[in-house]
Order: sequence, then C-alpha cells, then structure tokens
Amino acid sequence: MKRALAVLVALASVVSSVPVGAAPLAHREVLPNGIVLLVAERPAVPIVAVRVLMRAGAVYDPADRAGLANLTGAVLTRGTAKRTGPELDSAIEFVGGSVEAGAGRDSLTVSMTAQKKDLALGLDLVSEVVLTPTFPEAEVARKVSEIQAAIKRSEEDPGTVAARALGRLVFDGHPYGRPVEGTRDSVGRLTRDDVVKFYRERARPDTTVVAVVGAVTVDEARREIMARFGSWARPADPPVAVAAAAAPAAAREETVKRELTQTTIMFGRQAIVQTDPDYFPMAVASYVLGGGSASRLYTRVREESGLAYSVYSWVAPWRHGASFAVSSQTRTAETPKVITMIREELARMGREPVAERELTLAKQYLIGSFPLRLDTSGKVADFLVAIEDRGLGLDYADRYKERIGKVTAADVQRVAAKYFAPAAFSLVVVGETK
Amino acid sequence: MIHRPYTRRRYNRTVRIAILPLLIVSLLAPSAARAADRVVAATLDNGLRVLLLEDQRSPIVSFQLWYRVGSRNEHRGSTGIAHFLEHLMFKGTSSHGPKEFARLVEQNGGQNNAFTSQDVTSYYVDIAADKLDLVIELEADRMQNLLLDPKEIASEREVVIEERRTRTEDDPGGFLGEEVSSIAFKAHPYGAPIIGWMDDIKRVTPEEIRAFYKSYYVPNNAIVVAVGAFRAADALEKIKKRFGRIPRGKVPPPILAVEPTQNGERRVLVKKQAELPIVYMAWHVPNHTSDDAVALEVLSTILAGGRASRLYRDLVYQRQLALEAGGDNAYFSLDPNLFWFWATPMPGQTPEKLETELGAHMERLKTEPVTDEELARAKNQIEAAFVYQEDSIHQRASLLARFELLGGFALKDSFLAKVRAITAADLTRVARTWFAPERKSVGVLVPKS
Repeated sequence: MKRALAVLVALASVVSSVPVGAAPLAHREVLPNGIVLLVAERPAVPIVAVRVLMRAGAVYDPADRAGLANLTGAVLTRGTAKRTGPELDSAIEFVGGSVEAGAGRDSLTVSMTAQKKDLALGLDLVSEVVLTPTFPEAEVARKVSEIQAAIKRSEEDPGTVAARALGRLVFDGHPYGRPVEGTRDSVGRLTRDDVVKFYRERARPDTTVVAVVGAVTVDEARREIMARFGSWARPADPPVAVAAAAAPAAAREETVKRELTQTTIMFGRQAIVQTDPDYFPMAVASYVLGGGSASRLYTRVREESGLAYSVYSWVAPWRHGASFAVSSQTRTAETPKVITMIREELARMGREPVAERELTLAKQYLIGSFPLRLDTSGKVADFLVAIEDRGLGLDYADRYKERIGKVTAADVQRVAAKYFAPAAFSLVVVGETK
Repeated sequence: MIHRPYTRRRYNRTVRIAILPLLIVSLLAPSAARAADRVVAATLDNGLRVLLLEDQRSPIVSFQLWYRVGSRNEHRGSTGIAHFLEHLMFKGTSSHGPKEFARLVEQNGGQNNAFTSQDVTSYYVDIAADKLDLVIELEADRMQNLLLDPKEIASEREVVIEERRTRTEDDPGGFLGEEVSSIAFKAHPYGAPIIGWMDDIKRVTPEEIRAFYKSYYVPNNAIVVAVGAFRAADALEKIKKRFGRIPRGKVPPPILAVEPTQNGERRVLVKKQAELPIVYMAWHVPNHTSDDAVALEVLSTILAGGRASRLYRDLVYQRQLALEAGGDNAYFSLDPNLFWFWATPMPGQTPEKLETELGAHMERLKTEPVTDEELARAKNQIEAAFVYQEDSIHQRASLLARFELLGGFALKDSFLAKVRAITAADLTRVARTWFAPERKSVGVLVPKS
C-alpha cells in the first residue's frame, strides 16, 4: 500500500502540472474498437515505453472481494496462451527489457520498456498478456500467499499502517476506503474464478488507453498496435459506472499501538478531483502549507522546531474522488505538539490570506517544474494514460498553467476555509500510545 | 515535489539495501559509450573538476556537485558528521539566509536534493536551463561561505535524530543492516552507519562540523557535473568565473585504515518488533580496482537481476521459501566493501532455512558453471540499462560522476567491453576466490513475540 500510495502521489504531482506553451504532448486517436492510442515521438534515445491502461482497478472490487484487482494484476503476466510466466520473464529479460502489470485504485496497467530493436518482441508480450492471459491455478495460489505475506510484513511499516487506517476513515463506505491489496482474509478467499470473471468483465477495448512513447513514429505505433489489438472486439453492453465517493459522516480518530520510538501522524479528508475548478487553488494551498522545503509546515515543524524529519501535505486526486492529507513522524513525547502545530497551520490557511511571496513561490514552482516531471519516456507515458483516463484532455497542460497562474491569495483562502478546517479531518496516530 | 520530502537528504546505503534486485543494474549503468566523446572536461586552477555534457532534448539542466567525502572519512566518536553537514548545507551562508536555498530553487521551478553515502556527498538541482547562473551562484556560495550557526545546528541535530529513528530504530531492515556492517568491519570506517551512531549525532560539536567543512568542502575535493540544454563552452566559462574565485584547499587527509582479512564467520542476532524475519549475509569483496570486480557485477546480476534470476526463480517463485531475495555488489565503492545477500522468509519458513539456501546458491556457483543463457541475459541486462540511462539527464550526470570518482569518466567506455569479456569460468573463479565461509558475516532479525 505504501508503494501504491507513493505511486499515486507521484502521479498526482505529475498530473497536477503542465508545460508552458509546449507543443502538443502527443498524437491522439481512437481506434475502430474504441482503444484510445496516444503516441509521443522521442527519437533521441533508442528505447520505447508502452503503457496499456485498463479500467480494472480496485474501485471495481466487489465489497466482499477486496484485493481482487490487485491479485488480477499480479497474475496477469504469469501465463498466456503461448507462454508460461517464467518463459515470459526469460524472453523479456534476455533483451534487458521489462513487462510488468499491476492494479491501482482506478486502473490496471501493463507497462513495457525495451530497446527500439526489441519493440516487436515487447509488444508481442504485452498483447499476449492483455488478450490471452490464462491465470493458471497454481500461479493464482502462489500470488495469494505472496500478497498475504507482503500484507503481513507491511504491518511493521507505520506509514503503511497509518495510510490504510486513514483510507478507511476518509472513504468510509466507498471502495476507495478499502486497501488496494485487500486484507489477508479477503485475499485468502479469492479464487481463480474470481480473477477470470473480473478480468473478463473489466478488460475491454473501449475503456483501454494505450500510450507508446519513445523512438517510434505515429505511423509505426499505429500499425504495430493495430496489428496486435485491432481484432480485440468491443462488447455490446456498456461499461460499468462507479459512484463518486460520498463524504463520510464525520471525522474520526484512531490510534494504532506499535512498539516504536516515533509516532506517525496522518491527517486526512476528502478533497476535490482535477475537473473541479477549485482544484487549482487547492493545489497551490497544499503547496504553501506542506508541499516543499519552503512550506509552512516544513519551516515550522522541521526547520524551526526540529520536531520531525518528514512533514508534508498532498492532494491525491483519483477518478471518482480525492483526498487531502498531512503527515509527519516525530518522537513519541512530542506527538501532541506536532498534532497541535498541524491543526494550527491548517486553520491559519483559511483564516488569513497567504503572503504574496508564498503565493508566487508556489505558483512558480508548480508551473516551472513541469518539464522536469516529463523528462523520460516512461514518465511521459504514465502522464499520457493518466490524463486520458481522467478525461482531462491533452490540452490539460496549457489549461493547468493558465489556471494556476490565475490563482489569487483570496482563492487560496476561500478554498482553505472550505477544505482545511481542522475539525473536518480524520486523524490516525501509529506508535506508542498512552 | 509533493512526494519528495520523504526522501530529502536521504543517505545512500539503506536505500540500496532495501531496494529491488534490479537496482543493481541501474546503479551500474553509465551513459552510453558514444556520450563520452562529447563530454567537455576541465580542471580549474583551484583543482575543481568540471564535466559538462550538452543534451538539448528538453530546456532543462541537471547540475550536480559531488564532494569526495562521506562516512568513510569519519572517525570513532564523530560518526554521522558528513551526513549532518549535508543537512547544514541548506542552512544558509553570509549572502543567502537559512531558508534561501530551497526558496530560490523552488520559486524558479527547480527541484533539489542531496544524499550522503559511504564515499561521497552529492547535491543536485534540476531546473530550467536558463537558471543555470543562479544554481552556479548558490552552489559556489555554499562551498565557501556556509554559516554553520550554532542555533541552526542545534535545531537540525534534532531533525537528524528523527531521521535516524525513522530509518534505523523503527525500521527492521535498516536496523539489521547497521548491525551486520558493524561486525563485518573492525578497522575500516565502512563499519559505521552513514547516519552515525545516535550518541555521536547527539554529541558532535559545531567546532568539529566547522573543521570538517573546511577540510573537505574545497574545490580540489569536488566534481561539478552538468548535463542539459546549454552550450558547454558557455557553461564552462560561467563555472570558471564563479567557482574559480574559491581558493584551493589543503589536500584532505587520506583514509589510512585497511580492513584486515576476515578469519572467521561473524554473526549477529537481533530481536525486534517486526512481522517477518530477515536474513543478511555479507562477504568482503574487492572494488573496481580488481580485475574480479566486473565478474562480481555479472554474478550479482545472474543471482538477483530480475524475475529470471536465480534467487528469485528458485527461492521466491519455484519453492516459495522467500517473500523476496536478492543480492548486491559494491563495484563503485572507493575502498573494498561488501557483497550483500538478503532474504525475507515467507511466513512459516525460518531464517535458518533461508540462510542455508542462500549459502547453497553460493556453493553452486563455485562448482557448476552458469549456463550460456544466464550469462548472455546478464550481459544484455547490463547493456540495456546503459541505454535506458541515456533517457534522463539526471541519471546521465550521476553516472558520469560515479565513474569520475573511480578515476575518470571515460572508464565507463571500457566497462561494457569488460562485461562482454566475462566467461562462465571467470564467475566460477571469483565465486571460489571471494565467497569463502570464513569471510562471511551473517545477520538474522527475529520478530519479538
């Protein structure tokens, strides 16, 4: 979960900033069977990164089958009509490439990286994995015990424990409230039939996004993708809809006892998705509060008080909901002090306008750092499938820059007053508790 | 940057040990050979080494400053001082106040961070190429004019202590790694943790930190590497103009300690709150100066590079004895270091069983040649990783620096040729030479019931 969270947070930060007057990021077209194909040519380095994003994330897990999407992703590369899992590993690793699959909250993504000379092999493997997975019984059983062991081990990581508990409090009643990887019990109940049924129902061309980025032309990418995915038939029935997350009844607090020298403190609440106009002031507000090493929390909790090594806040927008969180780790004895400081700084964001200097720094950072976030083919491919899946459009880049540029101190205060009121946050504390 | 504060000022070793086996390949991979031709290299009159490589694909630059100082340069009683100083490098100079560095970088859309390892302390700023002047000014300024205000030191000391709690006291893997290093080395400073022992962090004085800064933060002990959208000739002029004003310092003291040959197995058993046991095994191996070092790199790839590797396929996949298992060589280490093996037993498996199995893999390498397919795959993985690194200006810069530290950035050009020349017999020979049972240190962490 920690890794999944980190990836989502990273993705959020990628999605939330955009190029300054850049050329279109990619070519986009819809193939006859509904696949959205995105191609970005980066000819300088002879490698290609491919992503196939399917709408088959944990948000579609049945309530009594938490962890199903995650298990499906884990077993997807473990056998196809043509190859066993080990044969597939050997084939791609022999050329120094990689084929991976994994599910997050919203989607299940197959990722491939290879040198240009090995593109045909890489795409063959990706198409076998997507179109003809066999989900062998023995491989399902292996992954079930592996995932159960990984969940057990993650219980020793306070950040993961806190994030899991917070997710449950913040998204109570919505699939986002359940851990992507499930629980040891829920995963133990999953069967091969569950996996096969889930994948059959969820994987379909008309909700699939394919990004091909690197030393490849648009024509070549279209030809190679069509040759492998062109005959993937679109089902007659419409894709399943997911309900947006409803706000939970009330903020709650939870403590989890662990024999540790520090406590992990995590505040969280639901926030807003990227299609909401308030998302832009929200992004600026979060940056001012706890985004970087010039932020208010970093300055007060770390620089001035020496109370923590890590303290930060972040907005995590997904497709059907979003969260805003603040986290820190401090020595056990100082836990109440750090909690108080975070509450005070949250409240201050809504009570008084941010200083011009803070506002400018946040806006210039969010706008100016964009090119750094898209500096490799892999990062560009991740970005492209994410903005397509969330319906943000290829012009999101320019829009974002423009919107962030227009955010005023009054906007930040208004959004903070609405979303940063401390009483609305749930709180999880992991560590030695009195 | 939202996810970055987590890793701010990380120190290297724990990260390396904790990460997937495949990392070995990425750590290994320098820029492609063809790039070396275009590197503009210069040594300024004050001894500062400068490496510049134009990459015009995006309007950005990665500017990195690598100081030849790490925990290797520390002494008993003041461990952690290199890492502590790294934190203090963000605490202001006479011309830029305590929070100005981060503020200036961020408000110019840049990202910055630093890490301390056993051998080096490295600082980077990745930023729009037209901000190069600003970065040169900031880095040159803090090479010479750091304030080291006692009040800032007092408050940052608490931050470093919290960092140690996160990374070591409260992290079973970090905790065990520290214990194993400390029994593996009895003379060389590699035995001490990069972050320092807790009592040393609490004790070290501002005067000692100031002296450490004066000794090691001098132009003749540093390498500037920049890759990005600039004209190398222009960038070199700018660097000369600003850094050239800083006087050459005394040659920093040499590392005199030599680790004696290990004469018997060493072990440590740790009981700690954890969910699953951990096993670490570490052998003393040579570094890049030995002809055996490249073979050890290939060997570690065969053992731990990906899902087709031996440890994953046997221990994780086929027999399901381990949740994860891996290995890591120390090719880039400035002094001879350790070849690590690790495994996390699956629930129901014991650490003893995993230790036996890891040992059996090592013994097999001594008696049975690896297959042609395994050898070819490992070489291809290493070679492909070279190519992948080319995609990121940050990685291109880091790898130039890593080879420069070994003796010259051009060493990366001969590296692949050496990898390609490795034979199965070489691997058998190095396994027999270096993986003797009496040169092994073993650490086992058992969850406290």
